[in-house]
Amino acid sequence: MEQKNDVILSVKNLNVKFNLRGKVLHAIRGVTLDVHRGESLAIVGESGSGKSVLNKNFIGLLDPNGFISEGEIMYYGMENGEPQLLSGYKKDREWLKIRGKEVSMIMQDPMTSLNPLKTIGKQIGEAVEKHQGFKGARLKEEVLQILRDVGIEDPERRYKQYPHEFSGGMRQRVVIAIAVACRPKILICDEPTTALDVTIQAQILKLLKELKERLNLTIIFITHDLGVVANIADRVAVMYAGDIIEIGMVREVFYNPQHPYTWALLSSLPQLGIKGEDLYAIQGTPPNLFKEVVGDAFAPRNPQALAIDFVEQPPYFDVSPTHRARTWLLDPRAPKVDPPACLKKIQPSL
Amino acid sequence: MEAKKENREVLLSVRDLEVTFGSRRNPFKAVKGVSFDIYKGETFGLVGESGSGKTTIGRAIMRIHPTSGGEVIYKGEKINGKISKELDKKVISEIQMIFQDPMASLNERAKVDYIIAEGTYSTKKDLPKKERMELVDNSLLDVGLLPEFASRFPHEFSGGQRQRIGIARALIMEPNFIIADEPISALDVSIRAQVLNLMSKLQRERDLTYLFIAHDLSVMRFISDRIAVIHKGVIVELAECEKLFEHPLHPYTQSLLSALPLADPDKEKNKELIVYHPDECHFDYADNPPEWVEIEEGHFILANARELEEYRAQLQK
Repeated sequence: MEQKNDVILSVKNLNVKFNLRGKVLHAIRGVTLDVHRGESLAIVGESGSGKSVLNKNFIGLLDPNGFISEGEIMYYGMENGEPQLLSGYKKDREWLKIRGKEVSMIMQDPMTSLNPLKTIGKQIGEAVEKHQGFKGARLKEEVLQILRDVGIEDPERRYKQYPHEFSGGMRQRVVIAIAVACRPKILICDEPTTALDVTIQAQILKLLKELKERLNLTIIFITHDLGVVANIADRVAVMYAGDIIEIGMVREVFYNPQHPYTWALLSSLPQLGIKGEDLYAIQGTPPNLFKEVVGDAFAPRNPQALAIDFVEQPPYFDVSPTHRARTWLLDPRAPKVDPPACLKKIQPSL
Repeated sequence: MEAKKENREVLLSVRDLEVTFGSRRNPFKAVKGVSFDIYKGETFGLVGESGSGKTTIGRAIMRIHPTSGGEVIYKGEKINGKISKELDKKVISEIQMIFQDPMASLNERAKVDYIIAEGTYSTKKDLPKKERMELVDNSLLDVGLLPEFASRFPHEFSGGQRQRIGIARALIMEPNFIIADEPISALDVSIRAQVLNLMSKLQRERDLTYLFIAHDLSVMRFISDRIAVIHKGVIVELAECEKLFEHPLHPYTQSLLSALPLADPDKEKNKELIVYHPDECHFDYADNPPEWVEIEEGHFILANARELEEYRAQLQK
């Protein structure tokens, strides 16, 4: 394993299934992904594409009816350098050494992820006490410092307040404070700004970027907002129907997208629309994951799909050393299909 | 656009509208003296953060919230406060609303046919059942759903389909004016485009007028003809869509525009965030209160004399 120093989390051919009403739902279909130390990786996709399910595997929060049917997840970030096989964890006790200290998570809705009956100070203190063992005045000092770190003014007064006394943006700052309280190495952000206003969203994104530098975090950012991706990510993975169909550096994916689904996603942005004309809309619905998907999962919704798209799943084709896409269009034998014209509006400006 | 300007007909006019919540002893003014006109056939956008009062304005026009001051004039008739029964009926069918969350705005226990037809039970009481169901079928077809769906329950549909049902429910009343309160913010990216396209298609076909309420400026830019920016219950700037995006004058508008995430990594990573500090920008409002001024044709702004000079200088550039 020569990449050990660079890769902090490695996912190999992961398959996750759910038992649902007597049927089996194949939610993650063979995801292979390396997360590099210190990067911010964005995972984009529609709801139901499996982006949240994938990340829940990294922190042991998969719903009880879900299970890993194949593949492995390795974590290389432990202090003692010992690789951990996360996909092999069975008991909650094993997860305790990962959760909070190594991998931490911020949920979407700050309204529901805080306990309304406890003061903010107590809630942050809880995490610090459990993992770092501080008590009394030392604990309070640490919590005040964390509150300052996430940009909450007047921490002495805020310490004693309850969540309902905080606005949405401030609550999300508290959630972030709890998540980074134990100095995790990986921070998973599951749509942390979707419930917030644009101005507040911009502030939270700025805070996350600052924290990433200051605390040496690796950030996995789940979102469906491509504008947010452009803002925060170094690298982007596009998910569709439980699989990563394109992954690359953020400039590569935005300025030189390869997969028809990425094209469609970018074209449907109102930003690229021309007033008075119809916006590009993806037709149809995502495939039913209760059934076996044959070929390219996006083919039925892709008006330019090739015949082979319906028969065989395409492998990854490398576009550059950091950019690969799962589409037959990149096969040398494939006919040349141009990306939609409106994508020319997104051009590198550096 | 230019040719249309001459004979634009005002469909709805809001004058000094005030909405107050809370008890008499502890009142909270959510909307503080807002005025604007909406022309027939246009899409008028209302943007602002949560808590700015944009939804309250929409609901006050719908008469869901009582107004505490000002007037709402629809086709020359005052429709807020006490109105006659006939006018009430007319307004109910001509002004309809599309709600934000398609998961919460449909009655879970009713079938789709009833949800869509519900309004007609009040306006067309004596309609035979067969004809009513015909209306439902047509309305479903108009929004791109199949008539077979009429006998299903809302939980059987996806978010995009539910929002279509919400639109069908508004259409069956044959409205002239539709208030769309964040109709797409709860939807997925790919579904958003479908619903936006549907709304503009319906507008073209039926000459509808929209009041489009949203916080997402990129959607606004795509769909609106004119945009009003609202902050804490006051409209601070109103202009034609492109004018507002090219020359935002009010510091709050500028901060909103700078916060808008763009799907372009080079631009997005190097942009400068403008933060709005009302106390610093408007330090002299106490001795020199702002007024609602038309600074250039069709471009209104809330500013005092000192600021107006600054803004004029900015426009000269």
